[in-house]
Amino acid sequence: MTAVPARSSERVRPVTSREPASAIIEIDRVSQVFQTSARKDHIALSDISLTIEEGAFVSILGPSGCGKSTLLYIVGGFVSPTSGAARMKGQAITGPGPDRGPVFQEFALFPWKTVLGNVMYGPRQQGVRSTEAEAQSRALIEMVGLKGYENFYPKELSGGMKQRVALARTLAYHPEVLLMDEPFGALDAHTRTRLQNDLLNIWERDRKTVLFVTHSVDEAVFLSDKVVMMSKSPGRIREVIDIDLPRPRRRSELLLDPRYQKYVVDIERMFDESDEAGFAL
Amino acid sequence: MMSTAALTRRAAPVLACLGLLAAWQVASLALKNDSFPTAIEAIRAIPDILGDKESLINILASLRRMALGFGAAVLISIPLGLLMGRSRSVAAFFNPLLMVIYPVPKAALMPIIMLWLGVGDITKTLVIFLGVSLPVIYHSFEGAKAVEEKMLWSGAAMGLSPAQRLVRIVLPAALPEILTGCRTGLVLALITMITSEMIARQSGAGNILFNALDMGQYDTVFAMIIIVGAMGICFDTIFEKVRARLVRWSEPQFDLPLSFS
Repeated sequence: MTAVPARSSERVRPVTSREPASAIIEIDRVSQVFQTSARKDHIALSDISLTIEEGAFVSILGPSGCGKSTLLYIVGGFVSPTSGAARMKGQAITGPGPDRGPVFQEFALFPWKTVLGNVMYGPRQQGVRSTEAEAQSRALIEMVGLKGYENFYPKELSGGMKQRVALARTLAYHPEVLLMDEPFGALDAHTRTRLQNDLLNIWERDRKTVLFVTHSVDEAVFLSDKVVMMSKSPGRIREVIDIDLPRPRRRSELLLDPRYQKYVVDIERMFDESDEAGFAL
Repeated sequence: MMSTAALTRRAAPVLACLGLLAAWQVASLALKNDSFPTAIEAIRAIPDILGDKESLINILASLRRMALGFGAAVLISIPLGLLMGRSRSVAAFFNPLLMVIYPVPKAALMPIIMLWLGVGDITKTLVIFLGVSLPVIYHSFEGAKAVEEKMLWSGAAMGLSPAQRLVRIVLPAALPEILTGCRTGLVLALITMITSEMIARQSGAGNILFNALDMGQYDTVFAMIIIVGAMGICFDTIFEKVRARLVRWSEPQFDLPLSFS
C-alpha cells in the first residue's frame, strides 16, 4: 500500500469499491472571470476539468481565494461560468435544481420557519403530501440528532445545530449530489469534529455523491475518497489525490493510521512548496 | 403575582400621562390665557364631541380615508419595494423618482391635487396614500436588499421559481423591516389625515379641530388634540401587537442559542 498521490487531474479514479463508478458530474474546461474594476479582471477559475463519480465523496481543497466555492456554485447552477460547461449526468447545468442540494457555511435557513418547517420546505415544494413530508422530516431531524427541537426557530439554535438543520433540510428533498460549501467553517473545533463524524455516519447509509469544499487538510483527508487540490490566482487544479483509506472510517482509528498521517503531511507539504514558489516569484 | 419591576413597568405610561396632564393644568392656571384651557376643561369637552352625531360622522369619515389610504399604500408599496430590492433595473428606474418625492411635504402637493381632483375624499385619500407609501417602499426595499443570497439559492435548489422566491422567501425574510416601515406609515397616515383636512376643510376630525379654532372654542380644540393623540396611541398599540405576533421568530428573546453542538 502506498500513499503516493496519483498525479493526474484528468484521470478517472481507479475503481476500488464495490460497483463500477460512472461519472455523475463533469466539469469541462471551466473558467470564471470576474470584473473587479473597469480595467482589471480577476481570474477566479482557469480551465478546470474534473470528473466526479457517482457515490464518491470528493473534497475541493485550497487556500481562500482559489475559487473553490465558485466552482461549487457553478455545479450548483447558481453561477454561470465565463467559459466551459458543467454537466450533470450528461446534461448541461443551466440553473439550480433539486438534483443538487447545497449546504452553505452560512446555514441559510429560513428564520421564519421552525426546524420542522425548514426541513419540510423542500418536500412540500416538490408536492409531497404534508403528513408524509412531516413524517419524513421528523425522521431526518432525529437522524441529525435534533429530536425534541422540531418546534424551535433557527435563532434559538447554536451554529452546530443550525448546520444540522441545514443538512436535514437538503437531504429532505433527496438530491442526487450534496454540494457542501465549507459547511463546518463557521463552527468551533469541537463542534466541527462532531459534525464531521456525524456527516460520515449519515453518508455511510446511502453514499450519496458529495462535493465538499474546505480549506482544512485534515477534514478533506478524513472525509474524502478523492481530494482535489487547488492553487490560487488563477484558480487551477494542482493535484487530484485518491485517498485510499478503509471505510467506514473512525476518527480514533484513523488519526493513528500512518497512511492517514502521510496523506495529511504530503498534502500540507505540497501547499507549503507552492507557497514558497509563489513567494520566490 | 406581578413583581414590583413588572408593576412599575405597567404603571409607568399611566404615570407619564397623569404627569403631563398635571403639568398642563398647572401651566394653564399660571398663564391664565384664554386660548390655553386647563386640562380639566379640555377633558370635559371630550364627551360633548364624542356624543355629537355630527362630530362622530366627521371622525368616522376621517378614519375611512385613513384606512383606505393606508391600505392602498401598503398593498402597492410592499411589492414595489421588494421588486426594487431584488432587481437593479427596477431600483434604477424608481429610485430617482422616489428621492425627488420623499423630501417634499405631501401636504404641499395638496393644493395642486385639489385643482385636479377637487376637495373631496379622493384628494385627501391620495395625500394619505402618498404619505404612507414612501416609508413603506423604503423599508421594503431595504429589507429585500438585505435578504441573504444563499437563502434564495437554497430556495432555487428546491425548485422555487423567481416569482415564488419573491413571495415565499423575500417577503417573509424582509417582513420585520417591512413592518417597521408600516408602523412609521401608520403614524404618517394620521398626520397626513389631519393636515389634509386642515387644507381642504369640508369634513373630518381635522375639520372639527380647525373650525373650533376659528370660533375660539379652545376647549374643543384641545379636546380634539387629545382624541387624535389617543387614536394614535391605540393604532400604534394594536399594530405593535399584530407585528410582534407576525415576526415572533425575529424577536430578541429568541437570541439565546442553546448550548448543544
